[in-house]
Parts: sequence; structure tokens; C-alpha cells
Amino acid sequence: MTTSRAINKIEELIPQRLPIMMVDELLWAEDDVCACRLTVREDNFFMEEDSMLAEPGVIEHIAQSASAFAGYRAVCEGATEPPVGYIGEVKNFKIYRRPKLGDVLTTTITMGATVGGVTIIRGITHAADEETVAETQMKIFVRED
Amino acid sequence: MLPLRGTVLYIIYIMMLLENKFYKVLSEKRHAEGLGASFHVAILPECNVYEGHFPGDPVCPGVCNIETIKECAILLVGEALRYTSIKLCRLTALATPAVCPEVDVDVTLEKTAEGYEVQATIADAVQTYMILKGQLGRA
Repeated sequence: MTTSRAINKIEELIPQRLPIMMVDELLWAEDDVCACRLTVREDNFFMEEDSMLAEPGVIEHIAQSASAFAGYRAVCEGATEPPVGYIGEVKNFKIYRRPKLGDVLTTTITMGATVGGVTIIRGITHAADEETVAETQMKIFVRED
Repeated sequence: MLPLRGTVLYIIYIMMLLENKFYKVLSEKRHAEGLGASFHVAILPECNVYEGHFPGDPVCPGVCNIETIKECAILLVGEALRYTSIKLCRLTALATPAVCPEVDVDVTLEKTAEGYEVQATIADAVQTYMILKGQLGRA
């Protein structure tokens, strides 16, 4: 699967809204891998007074990148609303530095199998210079309405 | 005579992202042994995070609970700390301001060369919402 369908608005892909939108755009998606981007701005919910992002903000960015991927797949299958997912587990999260104001973060999500509504994902976040900022595994629950 | 005469009062300012915004500490009880405490906190339903998480369906973002654990650890030791890693964090029940208006954040710390190993739970009398094991480094 590639990003053949043009996605103009991230709001089509994720259910989160301001002030806690932690993905700007889905860059591409192919098979089980996608990449999402976030520019760290002053008004980010997780911005600290030293103009650095608090560590849980990076976890949320990775989770919402996975959410955007799930949303993209759902939209491709005809859904009109993005699915609502929750973090079920964070495992082996490592953060090497806090993102700073102006950083452009690119996160690659690899989606594993979904069993009983739980999907295992792996996310790795890079800054513009390819430096690894953080990485983690997660379990995401998708709410079945 | 001034009660503080002859003493030096240090005021240490540590950044707190979510205290009195997402949660408010109501009381604190130190563990009888070791470095740890249980913080009884109110989950503040008026926090603006619920405008977006999710519109018309307020759910506590798991990452806000992860930050709350860190901030309780900061309150415990009085020094700025940041996560360097989280070995495992399980979100065992859905937390919302309606489901759990007040919770206990139980934090146990063990000193390491770089900071602290943290083990924490967020729970109320009914259920456990989060279990976390990780590393906090000195900021």
C-alpha cells in the first residue's frame, strides 16, 4: 500500500484535536510501514519553559503517528471517521534527547499484527539531521464502536 | 525575634508541566521504608487537554499519567528529573475525569548512578490504571 490517496488534512486520519495534536502530516505509507512528521512549535501542549518538549510528548507523537497510519488504512477502506485508539502498553521506550523548539521530527512506524483489537507497533523518531531522538514499542487498542 | 533568623531559605524552582493543570496533589504519604510516597491527586476535569482528547469524550491521555508519575517523583526528591527510558508501562484501565476523579499515584525510587529507578502505579479503590517501570535521570 502506498499513499495513492491524497490526504490533505491530518484531522481526517486522527481523532485527537488541539491542544493535543502531535502529528502534522502522514508523509508516506507502504505495506506495514509509514512515516509521519511533526514540527515542534511554541504552543505544543508538552512544551516546557526551556523550549524543549517533555518526554511524554514524544511518546504521544509516536502513538499518534501509529494512529494516523491506522486512520489512513481505515480511510482507504471507506471509513469516514478516524478510528479512536488508546495506548495499552509502552515497552522499551528510550529517549536520547528532548526535541527542541523548531525541530522537525520524522517518525517511522512499523505495524505488527493485530490480535483481538490490539496492534503491536514499533516507532523510531529522528530529527532533521537523521539523529535518533527516541524509539519505542507500543500496544495500541482500537475502540470498536 | 524572627523565627527564620540565622537560617537561609532556599527556594528551588522546578518546572512542572501538568501540576495544577491536569492534576492537583491533595495529600502525600511517605512510605514507611525506602524512598517512596503515595500522592493522592485530583484529576482536574477543566484541563484543556480534554478539548482534544477527545472532543465530547474526555479520556485522560496515558502520556499525561506518565508525566504525572514523573512530577510526583520530582516532588518526592526535590530535584528536576526526566525519563531516560521506560522499560514497561501498562495502561490497565481507561482513566477519565469522570471514572476516577481522584487517584493515588504511588512512586518508589531507588538511587542509581545517573538518577533513579522508578516503579509506580496509578490506582483508586476500584482498579489500577497504570503500572510503570523506568529510569529517571537528573535534569
